[in-house]
Amino acid sequence: MNPVLKAEKLSKWYGNILGISDIHLEVESGITGLLGPNGAGKSTFLKIAAGQLKPKIGRLTVFGEPVWGNPRLFRRVGFCPEHDSAYNEMSGGAFILLLARLHGFAGAAAAERVEKALATVGLLENRERPIKAYSFGMRQRLRLASAILHEPELLLLDEPLRGVDPLWRIRIMQMIKDYGRQGRTVIVSSHILPEIEAMTSEIVLIHQGKIFAKGDIHSIRGLIDSHPHQVSIRCPRPRHLAERLIAGDFVSGIEFAADGGGLTVRTNQRDLFFSALMPLAAEAGNEIAEITSPDDNLQAVFDYLIGK
Amino acid sequence: MKSESALRVIFAAFFRAGLRAKRSRAFVLLSAVPVLLMIIVRVVDAKESGDFFTKVMLSLYFQLLVPVLALFFGSSTVNEELDNKTLVYLTTVPVRRRAVLLGKYLAAFLLAALLVAGGFLLCFLAAALDRLDDAAAWGELGLFLGAALLALFCYSTLFTALGAFMKKSILLGLFFVFGWESIVQYFPGVTQKFTVIHWIKSLLPIPAGEGGFLIFQLQPSPPLPSVLVPLAAGLLFLCIAVFIFERKEYILSDNA
Repeated sequence: MNPVLKAEKLSKWYGNILGISDIHLEVESGITGLLGPNGAGKSTFLKIAAGQLKPKIGRLTVFGEPVWGNPRLFRRVGFCPEHDSAYNEMSGGAFILLLARLHGFAGAAAAERVEKALATVGLLENRERPIKAYSFGMRQRLRLASAILHEPELLLLDEPLRGVDPLWRIRIMQMIKDYGRQGRTVIVSSHILPEIEAMTSEIVLIHQGKIFAKGDIHSIRGLIDSHPHQVSIRCPRPRHLAERLIAGDFVSGIEFAADGGGLTVRTNQRDLFFSALMPLAAEAGNEIAEITSPDDNLQAVFDYLIGK
Repeated sequence: MKSESALRVIFAAFFRAGLRAKRSRAFVLLSAVPVLLMIIVRVVDAKESGDFFTKVMLSLYFQLLVPVLALFFGSSTVNEELDNKTLVYLTTVPVRRRAVLLGKYLAAFLLAALLVAGGFLLCFLAAALDRLDDAAAWGELGLFLGAALLALFCYSTLFTALGAFMKKSILLGLFFVFGWESIVQYFPGVTQKFTVIHWIKSLLPIPAGEGGFLIFQLQPSPPLPSVLVPLAAGLLFLCIAVFIFERKEYILSDNA
């Protein structure tokens, strides 16, 4: 079976700033998560895939055709850009109608597409309002509507959940999963691991412009879980909690906060640690005010993986 | 989608958006300045208003308003999309880039032309209120309007091409309008023919003693070349703008 998207020796740089370097990738139908810290090259890759940038070296094809200078391809491709841009003087409905008409829909068919796309992202009631009156999250949903209105076979989504409220985050993730189930292809980028994890198990890890790992998320999770994690806990009696935690063999170190209102625990077995934490805290009568993971971000995960 | 249909869709959408844009409102106010001046002259000294009309047209419209309108409307065709990072929406639809550029350019040109024509008409009415039945006066208005639209076309296509080529084209455009065009038009011999304003002024009735700068004078060209040269130059600039826009990679992120 031919891949939907194929990149061969793909490289791109801006002046002396590296975008991506020597990327080989084949994407089949279904959802693929493009995961990497900010500046890793995810957006550059997606912009090349969406025909916005020309590769410096190598080539990228979608449905077997080159993308750059090939507007016909956009009948089958939808792109949701990362940056917060819009025609602020237009209304949301007028903006989507313009794009629907440029996709070749006219009259009732265009109106139907606009209605469906806006309803999917929950903006139907706000269609007459100018875009400048939309919140950040609404503008993000409008961008998503612009990408899905023609029901493309390949959907390229660059950080589609950024700035979206929790309720719509869940709905959008569901919509993306539905798209994948329909046999379409979705490439969705994020720098937040749990976001991608909630949508797909097929991920591509990208770091410093290169593909660092590709495959099933569980195997990559395993790599991540074999490295120590830090968890900060705010509670009124941190020493009391530390006593209970240290008794378990899943804690490799503890540091107390300078203000005496918390502690930071290092663990190699994060899942086990979290399953034990709540009962221990309850047992000690030690009400936990906050739990944060200082290293639970993708940059830290990459640092672990590349051995920094 | 066929390029002609896409061009029509883009033209209609951006013309409507342009009517509501703050920039258009600002230029309506700017275009009202010569009209106000004409009304003042009319009230103070009605006999002088005919001559003053020609002076206003030459000094305010042809040397200032027309090139400035062309600069802002022409360069915004592409630059506005880059500044607002909205180009991505028009380049991820099944439409050729030339249709995008031409549709946007035509919308910008029509908006600027309406501003110029509206201002001209109001100035003319203020100047020739007592001779509205004089065909010669209307002929003069037609001549000025035709020359202004020709100038607008030539300037705006030049600035559209410049905007397609570089991101901050306004500065270079201002230098062209207030530097090159303002000074070189008075150079002797063929040098002045390298300005747009030379050909446009050659079409207009220049009052005696006008059109001079220091010791040099406008040396008018014949009417036919004065129409054909700006027209051909405008078409050439438009082709260059399309050529650049179809091939150039526009980087909308901060990486550039």
